[in-house]
This record gives sequence, structure tokens and C-alpha cells, in this order.
Amino acid sequence: MRGFELVRPATLEEAIRLLDTDDPTVRPLSGGTAIMQMMKTGIFKPSRLVSLSSLAGDHSAITLDDKGFLSIGAMTTLAAVEHSQVVLQHAPLLPKVMKRLANVRVRNAATVGGALAHGDPHMDLPPVLAALDAEVIAQGPGGQRRIPVADLYAGYFETVLQRGEIIASVSVPPRNGCNSVYRKTTTRTADDWPALGVATSLGRGEGVLQHVRLFASAATERMTRLGSAEAHLRGNRPEAKLLEEAGRIAAQEVEVIDDAHGSAAYKVALVAVQVRRALHEALQQGSEQ
Amino acid sequence: MVCNDMNDKAAVVRRIRFRLNGRQREAQVASHENLVDLLVRLDLFGARESCGQGLCGCCTVLVDDIAVSGCLTLAQLVDGCEVHTVEGLAEKGKLDFVQQAFIDEGAFQCGFCTPGFVMMTHELLKRIPEPSEPEIREYLSGNLCRCAAYPEIIRAVQTAARNRPDPAGVAGEHA
Ligand SMILES: Cc1cc2nc3c(=O)[nH]c(=O)nc-3n(C[C@H](O)[C@H](O)[C@H](O)COP(=O)(O)OP(=O)(O)OC[C@H]3O[C@@H](n4cnc5c(N)ncnc54)[C@H](O)[C@@H]3O)c2cc1C
Ligand code: FES
Ligand code: FES
Repeated sequence: MRGFELVRPATLEEAIRLLDTDDPTVRPLSGGTAIMQMMKTGIFKPSRLVSLSSLAGDHSAITLDDKGFLSIGAMTTLAAVEHSQVVLQHAPLLPKVMKRLANVRVRNAATVGGALAHGDPHMDLPPVLAALDAEVIAQGPGGQRRIPVADLYAGYFETVLQRGEIIASVSVPPRNGCNSVYRKTTTRTADDWPALGVATSLGRGEGVLQHVRLFASAATERMTRLGSAEAHLRGNRPEAKLLEEAGRIAAQEVEVIDDAHGSAAYKVALVAVQVRRALHEALQQGSEQ
Repeated sequence: MVCNDMNDKAAVVRRIRFRLNGRQREAQVASHENLVDLLVRLDLFGARESCGQGLCGCCTVLVDDIAVSGCLTLAQLVDGCEVHTVEGLAEKGKLDFVQQAFIDEGAFQCGFCTPGFVMMTHELLKRIPEPSEPEIREYLSGNLCRCAAYPEIIRAVQTAARNRPDPAGVAGEHA
């Protein structure tokens, strides 16, 4: 790694000002767990890193508003999300996902903002938050905007965040009786990066599936919404045959990539199985309540 | 130049001030140095860089009482922080209860991974004073031992939990 300028602004506005440049070698630094790897391997050679660590005081709160929306500050560590009682109560899937995400030390340092902004398709939080209909609150030189996590990724390691834009927080809507599941398939160790991640959120009414969200990640170049499988499920009775068909449709619509975690052919087969199992699991949870 | 608060003035090398195992220290630090690099320069060799990627835990140190991978921590960012390493657990020539438990259970062969396991064990016992075996396995899953002393390490953690002097006797209290 070679020398660069490391700055530590005290406010979000100052950080945005420091990041408002066309120079791609200027980037924010939160927990540093992802960016350090990219620097060590020489993939990223910064000229300036804007550490957001001094913003942790103002941007690492977990709060619930009177409409039941959960807000998680971008500088909240993954460990804080894992151990938060408020999160456990209102988005119980999140702490569950943390248990198998990296390891204790990484979760102690890594932040929600970094986990969303990095754009590595293997990451667990993007599909999970997308299935929960979460939105990112991005703050930039032009003000604030909300971006659904489902629309955050433009490509491989690429987000739709614009010049100078920082993720300030993420907002998770109330569950409204929906049940959510994340199934992570690892091919080497239990806490390895996934070969495939499938996240779903299902809500039933009058015997049919009314609310359906289905996302795949890791096997794909970027997190992908399984729209055809969703459409096949929506408005129908959740019988075993329907869930199986949804798995098959998902496997057909998704574009998977070959990598060290498995061949594309293997991962296509996995999609069909894991989508079906995720749907079953979510329905099971629903009937237990 | 003494600079506690980093501002937006360009600087590749900075003087930082932090507490290391209870003692106030100052060091000239380059932006690209990680915390293990800095500790080695200060003659502390307990935290060592092995994988360099956050996977193995050999570089575990506590920053403001939180276990992190020193290999993924930029040294300039510990300015103003409290850093604890395995060297600070007990007075010179003595061992603390976790270190002693690792010896009693023979929980190492080469010992390369041991400082990291010891520091993580402190962090675990702080959070869960009497961890179950699955809890130990889960908590230490980010620490690798290439000599595969895992069964002995799990026993050492259980022994340490039993021998723990008192809830306040955790990392850093000896400094
Ligand atoms: C050993 C290891 C194992 C891992 N295993 C897993 C795993 O199983 N599953 C998984 O999901 N992840 C895994 N990860 C990845 C981990 O989740 C990410 O490294 C982490 O979430 C990144 O967060 P950070 O705060 O450290 O980001 P940083 O490294 O600080 O930043 C990451 C990127 O996001 C940008 N950024 C940071 N904060 C913001 C912000 N607020 N607004 C805009 N841009 C921002 C940075 O410029 C950079 O490009 C693993 C990492 C390690 C080291
Ligand atoms: S050297 Fe830091 S975790 Fe392996
Ligand atoms: S004792 Fe040799 S690596 Fe653990």
C-alpha cells in the first residue's frame, strides 16, 4: 500500500464536501474492512480517504418512529445491529443473518453503510434489506434522497450513488405481518462468503400470497430481483406445487456466474432448491404465529 | 507537530497520541500503516499479521475495548484511542487466567495463533461469562489455528471461564 491522505471530517456536510470530486481515488472509509482489502491487493489506490469515523456519534443510532419504521444510522456497526433489542423485535431477520456474516471482529468494525455501499454481490445485507423493502437515505451535495435497496446496485461493485453522495442511514418499514427468510449457501465453511443468497418476504391474506419479495445474490453479478417468480406466486394459494414452480422459474430467469464458489450449472440448480426452501420456511414461520 | 484531531489538511505522515496497554504513547504514523505495523515498530510482537484479510484472528487487538483485526485497521485512526494487546494482560513474567488456561489445557503447538485466541477469549467471556460449546465455536470461528488445537482451545476457554477471577478482571485491568 502506498501513502495517501487520510482525513477525518467532523460533520456529514464536511465529508460530502471532501467527497464532491470527480477523482475516483477519493472515497469514504467507514469500518475499513472492505476497503483495506482492496488497497492491500492494489485494486484500489486512494489519493485521499475520507474517514467517517468521527460521524459515528451522530450517525450510529437505531431508532423506531411512531409509524413503526426502523432507522439504522449508516455508521452503526454490524455487531450493534446484531445485539440490538429494537432490531430483534422489529426486524428479527437482521440479527439472525449477522450470526453467519464474516466473524466477530469484522462485525465489530464493519458498518451498515459500508455493507450497503461496497456493492460486492456476495454480501448478505443487500438482498435481506431489499426483501424487507428497506430504503437507503443518501445525502449528497444536492440534498437528500431515498433509494430503495432493491434499486441500489448498477452492476458488479457498482451502486447508483452519485458524486459526493454518502449513505446516511437505512430505513426499514414495519413488517405488517410478513415473514422473511434468508438462505445462505456456502460451499467451503459455514461462515464463508455465500455461493448463493436467497432472501424472501411473504405476506398472506384471504388464503393467497399478497405480498411477495424474492431476491438472489452472490451467484449473480449484482443482487437480482426474481420478478417472474414473484409474479407467479402473487395472488395464488401457496401450495407445494406453486412453490416448486417458483423455484424453477427463478432458476430460469436468473443470470448466474461461475466463480470459486461453484460452477454456473451448480448454482442454477441451487437457485431452484433454495428459492423453494426459502418460500416454505417463510410460510412455516407464518403458520407458527 | 502534535495533532490529536485530524482535520482536512493534507498529511501523509502524522503524529498520533493513544494509550497502549495503559501507557500514553506518541508515534509518527504514515497513512498506509496498519495497526500491526505500528505495534511491531513499538516492539510488540504478540499481534501478528498472517492472512492480512480479517480471516484468521492472529492480529486481534482491542481498540476501545472492542476486538478488531489489527491488519484491517489503519494505524492513524487509533489516535485518541485505548489499545490493548496480549502483552498488556499481565505484568512482566506473569500470566493472566486466560493465558494460564491455554497452558493448562495444552491449547497450542506452535503458538502463532495463541495471542489472537487469548484476546478473543477475553472478549467472549466479557460478553458471555459462561459460554456453551456452540457459543465458543461460533465466537471463535474467525480465529484459525493451523496446528488444529481446536479441541484443546475449547477446553481452555471453558477452564478460563471457571477460573475467571471476577467480572472486572478483564483485559486491560492489569495495566
Ligand atoms: C474476513 C471477512 C469475511 C467477510 N464475510 C462476509 C460475509 O460472509 N458476508 C457479507 O455480507 N460480508 C462479508 N464480509 C464483508 C463485510 O461485510 C464488509 O467488509 C463490510 O460490511 C464493509 O463495511 P465497512 O464499514 O468496513 O466498509 P468500508 O471498507 O469502510 O467501505 C466499503 C466501501 O463502501 C464505501 N462506503 C463506506 N461507507 C459509506 C457510506 N456511509 N456511504 C457511501 N459509501 C460508503 C467505501 O468508500 C468503500 O467503497 C467479510 C469481510 C471480511 C474482512
Ligand atoms: S492477519 Fe489479521 S485477521 Fe489474519
Ligand atoms: S498453535 Fe500453531 S497455529 Fe495454532
